[in-house]
Formats: sequence, C-alpha cells, structure tokens
Amino acid sequence: MSQTESPYWNPKTETLPKEQLRLLQLAKLQRLVDRAWHTSPFHRRLYEKAGVTPDKIKTLDDLRRLPFMTREDWMACQAEKPLFGDLITRPEDEAIRYHLTSGTSGRQPLRVLDSRKDWSWIADMWCYGFWGFGIRPDDKVFFAFSYGSFIGFWGAHYCCEKLGCLTLASGNMTTEQRVKQIVELGVTVVCATPTYALRMGQTAEKMGIDLRRDGKVRRVVVSGEPAGSIPAVKKMIEDMWGGKCGDTAGMTEIGTIMFFECDHQPGGPHIIEDHFIEEVLDPDSGEPMAYGERGERVVTSFGRGFIPLLRYKTKDLVQKVPHTRCSCGRTGDLYEGGILGRVDDMKLVRGTNVYPRAVEAVVREHPEVEEFQIILSRKDNVQDEISVKVELKPDQQDCWPRLQAQLGKDLADAHEGLRFNVELAAQGELPRFELKAKRLQDLRPQY
Amino acid sequence: MSNEAKDLLGNVLTADERELLELYTRLKAMSARDDLPPVATANVKQAMVMLWNACNDLAIVHEEPGCD
Ligand SMILES: [Zn+2]
Repeated sequence: MSQTESPYWNPKTETLPKEQLRLLQLAKLQRLVDRAWHTSPFHRRLYEKAGVTPDKIKTLDDLRRLPFMTREDWMACQAEKPLFGDLITRPEDEAIRYHLTSGTSGRQPLRVLDSRKDWSWIADMWCYGFWGFGIRPDDKVFFAFSYGSFIGFWGAHYCCEKLGCLTLASGNMTTEQRVKQIVELGVTVVCATPTYALRMGQTAEKMGIDLRRDGKVRRVVVSGEPAGSIPAVKKMIEDMWGGKCGDTAGMTEIGTIMFFECDHQPGGPHIIEDHFIEEVLDPDSGEPMAYGERGERVVTSFGRGFIPLLRYKTKDLVQKVPHTRCSCGRTGDLYEGGILGRVDDMKLVRGTNVYPRAVEAVVREHPEVEEFQIILSRKDNVQDEISVKVELKPDQQDCWPRLQAQLGKDLADAHEGLRFNVELAAQGELPRFELKAKRLQDLRPQY
Repeated sequence: MSNEAKDLLGNVLTADERELLELYTRLKAMSARDDLPPVATANVKQAMVMLWNACNDLAIVHEEPGCD
C-alpha cells in the first residue's frame, strides 16, 4: 500500500486493540508522572498534598489517585511567580514558542511555552486529524486565521507543511480577499471557525461568487467552537462550500487537538488515545460516567514537555461512546456530538436549563437565519426573560412572520416549553466574529 | 534474544523501527554537542525532533529529548 492510500496517519497505534492501547497509556503515564514529580514544583506540591508518589502508579486505575489540576491552580501559580509560574519544567530560554489563551471571559490569560520538540509534537497531533479526514500532500490548504498570540490553527499550519500540502496563510487579509484567493488558487481545504466559515460563505454570495461552482474546496476543517459538531451548522457550511465539513477540538492548555472527525463521520470525533487520556467525570462528585452519559472532560496529555498536564479539568461537557460506533477501524473512542457545551455555561431561566449550544442547534435548523444573539434579561426585577434576536439573509425577509412563530415553537419544544421571545434584528445589526463567537449576553443583575 | 530492542508494548522492533530509533539516537547525540557550527547544530536539532515524533508516535520511545 502506498503511503497516501493509508487511511491512518499512524496505523500502528490508531488501530491498537483496546487492551494494548491501555498498556501503552500506562507506560506513558508512569513516565509522565515521574517527570512531573522531578521537574515541575507545581505538580510535586499537588502530589505531596495528595500523598501520591510516582511509584504508586501501577495500573491505569491509579490515575485516579492523582489530584485534579484546575485552571484556577494554574492562574494562581502564574500570579505568584510571574510570568509562567513554577509549573514549567525547563528554563524559559529553552522555549521557541509563546502563546496565551484568548481570555474571552475577561480573566487573566494562561501563558504557555513550548520547546522545539513540543512544537513539533503539536503539529503532529494535527496530522492525525488532517490525514484522518482525508487531507493529502496534493491538497491546497487555506488558513482563515489571524496568526496572532492565540494558538488557534498555528499547529495545523505546520502540520500541513509537514504533510507536503501547499499551505496558505492569510493573517492580514480581509474576508473578501480571502474568498478571492480561495477561488483564484483553486484551494481544496479551508480551515476556520464554524462561524467564520459561514461568514466567508455569506461574503462570497454578496460578491456574486458561487463557491460550489467557482471553487474547488472539498474539505472544510473547523475548530474553536462547539458549533462545529452541530449537524445543522455543518450542513449550512457544506451547502455553501460544496465540500465535507469536519470538526476538530483543541485547547491552548494542550497546544493542539485532542480529537478529530475521521472521514467516516460517525457523529462525533475520535480521541487520539495514544497521546491523551480523556476521562469523563461527574463535575461535582468526580465519579466516572459510563458510555453515553454526559460529564466533564478531564484530560491528561503525554505530549507537551514544558507544561505537564495531568487530570486537567476542562469544564467541557461531553458524552463518550465506544469506538465501535465508527467503522473506520480506529480504536480511539468517540465524543458523540463533539463538545456539547461548558459545565459553567448552563443558564437557568425560570427553572429550565438553557445551553447556548442547544439554542444554536435549533436556530441553525433554519437556513434563512444569517446571524443571531441570545439575550437574557430580568423584567421588573423579578421575571427572567430569554430572547433570541435574529438577522435574516438579505433575500429572506418575507419569511419573517412564519419563521418567528416556528422558531418560537421549536425553541420551546427543545426547552420543556420555556417561552422564548423571538425578535427581528436589522440587516448588519448583530456582531460578526472571526474567532470564538459570543452569541449570549446575560444582562440579568449578578448577585 | 532477550536484549533485542522492544517498543513500549514489549514487541520486538521491526527492522524499520530499529532504523528510526538508530537515526533518532544518533541525531540526539549530535544535538547535544556544542562544538559544531550553528548551521549543523540547528538543523540537526530540527531533524532530531522530527525523528522523535516518528519514534514517539510508533511507541518506540517516550522521553524528553531536551536539546535546547
Ligand atoms: Zn472513524
């Protein structure tokens, strides 16, 4: 078999029988704990407090002896010992990359450093995903990405260079320039956030460009927002671009992606289990959840040397299902529906749980909608109200009364009958996004 | 043949895997030298981390090469 015919980046470990995969994880975990103990004062402190030493890790179940690591612990150690805290395992001058979290929620950003080896590993994890989604050396890959201090698609860019693709950076371009170049060069793969993939599509329409007819895009790789696994969002992206849309998910704390959708797209991404241990736990009790049950992702990463990450509580809500759900042959389990939301983004409105991602899933079922916002407010200091403000596509204005009624009904049906106010926004009124979209405003007084 | 090189799962390395490990080991040793011209050191380090990836992905090694 020639290398381009292999459906796997790494056939040896991606198809390992589960018990072998567990042995490999244990071998890596033992080395990782030992390294963290000896080189990261942050981890040594955590382990001493919990009364655990590296020799205690004898089976994979012993992972549960290790204490959790939280973003709050990390921020506290950074504040105490600026800029990087005592989490890092090597002298700062050995790093070749510096990135920080986007800090969208107004918190202090996390600062990360990577060594030459870490950076190369980061690109390699993206290779698992890109290869698995069918991207090959003869592809032309366009990154609609700002190339700033946010880590975003940086690793994916280096992955594509490694694969031998024509790799196109577009940091300083306007949306119109990006669309033009994608068509002009016959780009075959576009990488963007789901929101921005939609925006480029809408811009193309306004420029009179039919991406399906005029472009050659066969894959759209999305990342950065839970919407990348919402079927209706994917369908919109696929209808616009004419190529398959695949989701990936990564985080600055890891530096790269932990899971990706394979070419078979069974309804969720595969976990790269030879490089990560992904636990799904009850966010309150810390007890493991069974397959098919929703819980918080807790991740252990074997790759980044500068910053060991063990049992890191991500606050991402996920639902794991067995790898056998997919027919591709990978033995890494799947997260059904990708990242389902955040443990802390659940909003309580008149006794009903509302997740922004669930609202988005309903709204995006209606292709007439171009953009939307969710607004929570409090009426007369007593009653909570939830409104969805909708901006329609320019040629869809006539559908409003019907759509307003239908959306109100669909949203209520998906939320135990909760009444949503569905309002029309003027053309161009709602904000547009390139990176992480913020489509929820909670205007209720915070106590 | 108890001293044959094995991967992290205890499998004896294939001929290709042995070659990858050997290349990585040689590049790692060269990366640690401080008597080479910059052109050699920097490029050897780059090559070494790429070989580290192949060996690490194939479960042949799991270590921090620490070259900088
Ligand atoms: Zn699959």
